[in-house]
Amino acid sequence: MNKLDLPIIEFTDEQVKFRKEVRKFLEDARDSGTFESKCDSWLSGYDPEFSRKIGSQGWIGMTWPKKYGGSEQSAIERYIVIEELLAIGAPVAAHWFADRQTGPLFLRYGTEKQKEFFLPKITEGSCYFSLGMSEPNSGSDLASISTRAEKTDGGWILNGSKTWTSGAHHSHYMIVLCRTAPKDPKYRHGGMSQIIVDLTSPGVSIRPIKFLTGEKHFNEVFFENVFVSEENIVGTEGDGWKQNMQELAYERSGPERMLSTFPLLGELISVLRENNDKQGLKETMKLVARLNSFRLMSLGVAQYLEEGKDVSIAAALVKDLGTKFEKDIAETARLIISSVPSVHSRKQFEKYLAQSILHSPGFTLRGGTTEILRGIVSKGMIAE
Amino acid sequence: MSEMHELILDSTTKILKDICTKELVDKSEEGQWAGDLWEVLVESGITSIGVPESTGGTGGDFVDAFHILRLAGKYAVPLPLSETLIVNWLLAGYGVIPQEEPVTFELNSKLQLEKNDAGFLVNGALENVSWARNAKKILVLASLEEETFVTLLPLEDAYIENNNNLAGEPIDTVVFEDVMVNDIETYIVEENTLQEKVIDLGGLSKAAMMSGALDKVLELSVQYIKEREQFGRPLHKLQAIQQHIAVLSGETIAALTITNKAIDSYDKGTTDNEIAYAKLKVNESAGIVAEIAHQIHGAIGATHEHQLHHLTRRLWAWRDQFGNENFWAEKLAEKIMDSQSQTLWEMMTEEQMIETMQ
Repeated sequence: MNKLDLPIIEFTDEQVKFRKEVRKFLEDARDSGTFESKCDSWLSGYDPEFSRKIGSQGWIGMTWPKKYGGSEQSAIERYIVIEELLAIGAPVAAHWFADRQTGPLFLRYGTEKQKEFFLPKITEGSCYFSLGMSEPNSGSDLASISTRAEKTDGGWILNGSKTWTSGAHHSHYMIVLCRTAPKDPKYRHGGMSQIIVDLTSPGVSIRPIKFLTGEKHFNEVFFENVFVSEENIVGTEGDGWKQNMQELAYERSGPERMLSTFPLLGELISVLRENNDKQGLKETMKLVARLNSFRLMSLGVAQYLEEGKDVSIAAALVKDLGTKFEKDIAETARLIISSVPSVHSRKQFEKYLAQSILHSPGFTLRGGTTEILRGIVSKGMIAE
Repeated sequence: MSEMHELILDSTTKILKDICTKELVDKSEEGQWAGDLWEVLVESGITSIGVPESTGGTGGDFVDAFHILRLAGKYAVPLPLSETLIVNWLLAGYGVIPQEEPVTFELNSKLQLEKNDAGFLVNGALENVSWARNAKKILVLASLEEETFVTLLPLEDAYIENNNNLAGEPIDTVVFEDVMVNDIETYIVEENTLQEKVIDLGGLSKAAMMSGALDKVLELSVQYIKEREQFGRPLHKLQAIQQHIAVLSGETIAALTITNKAIDSYDKGTTDNEIAYAKLKVNESAGIVAEIAHQIHGAIGATHEHQLHHLTRRLWAWRDQFGNENFWAEKLAEKIMDSQSQTLWEMMTEEQMIETMQ
């Protein structure tokens, strides 16, 4: 056994039953027209009504304490729900970041007041968060951010800007990583804090940046003398970098890092079966073998995260392999079946293919570029 | 996983570290039989792990056994260990006490057997038989009077034509020409079932051994980039090298994880597509890892002097044994073609449902 050995997860009978229930609910919702399946639905499928439906099923904040609206289930139950939502391409973008990242951040570092105020709303599917990390001059080099909060009576005055912020034009709040002390070249990771900013506050302006398709997913957000109450700091002043990094293992290792284009893979199989194309199926099953392997890794990481183990290397590897794989599905599919990909096509295959190709540049950028992740992995491997 | 799991693996690691040196592997490739190591493996019970104690084996389960094969791959053990284990496992089902001498098998083709007063007259040729020149016996398939069976034949009177795989391991041709045998035990089999079982056992053994080799290649590569300096700094400070190491780590962890899952399901008797997925993915990783590891090591890694080739040549050889990527992909394609009522996602998630019910 060595550091690259992950636990093998097996689902219990109850979990298998639960998966079937979730699937049935989602299939019914899709078939009755509640939503339309899409690739990359966790970024582009914004549907508050659907988020509230999911919330009333108890499927947001599933692992959180009951007193905050959660249902105290294990990470594996949550994993099942997330997988089913992604595999069917359901519109989960609205509540996605609050469920995945902000909730766990509050549970770990939040004050009692913050937990009582935000968590129940998040679990209802009616309170959405964005993550304010990158800035115009700080992309992969996140430690160089310059958005700053200065102490004032009863709180902070925030100035600066964030960019590439997914969903900010729809979200209610943003967790902003900012400087609360001047830059110190000797300690680049110090002096940063995480604060909660109400996006309706005076001084906040949000400008959507059109994605290459013309769609609006991410934004530039400007803060001009925005007052933030002192109770809106998350965790410890000055510990923002460390807290932010701990979130990243959750951000990097989930099923959304390999299933963004799964609807296309499923459709590819269906078409190949109809065509009785054995050669095509053979090529496709090679993709399925890879997906299986990455899925087992992601499940193993989820288990270790719940046990509180350090899985930063494995989490980075899941994202590196999984997101490249999401692109490979489209590249393989287009060669196996000659077609004219178009988001307006009447053929489901061509629609999914178009969505997958057009969204593909983002897969290996968002949440840390492949190059940054590989740097982290390499340093981790050298250190041990 | 048995209670003794960690203990067994620790003691096996110790044995292999001490005895299975680069020099030993080199000598084996030059034709010298690593008899001392074989004796130690037999004495430690490693050659009969997974065979119940009631049948004269060491006991332990298949998780123990396949993790030992992973170690055998890591240390490039130049012996027919997986071959002997597979023969012992197949025959344990018939209550046969495990072989202590090295043995091998070839069950893809049938030999001709004729019964006469003195015993059996054996004819036929078997190709690509691993370690035939060192094995004492071979498990073969034959038919007689409408019955198909396996039997363990002595190799002393067979003609053996030497051949080697990419790693220099024996893959010989074995020719039986009017060889008389008597006193052989035969064990009735159903041919297809047996061959399916053998390809599964062989595929999983190779996947486990390759996982070990991948692990070792990564270890050697990490060590090398920490020690080697160019441009006034260690190689690991160079971003191009960091990217390579991350890809090596990713392919290795993917291969280990999917192999561990396949081992787990084999041990529980719930194997469905796991071995196919594992061998397919490990084969793919092997090619990527071998290429990058050599690129990282530069010219020194391509010398006979360096240890790297003991692992990379095995990866290249083993990925084509017991099914290359296309072989397993075709099996999976047939499977999904035959289960039209299931979506891909149902198929991917149902394996686990079967497991938990058993």
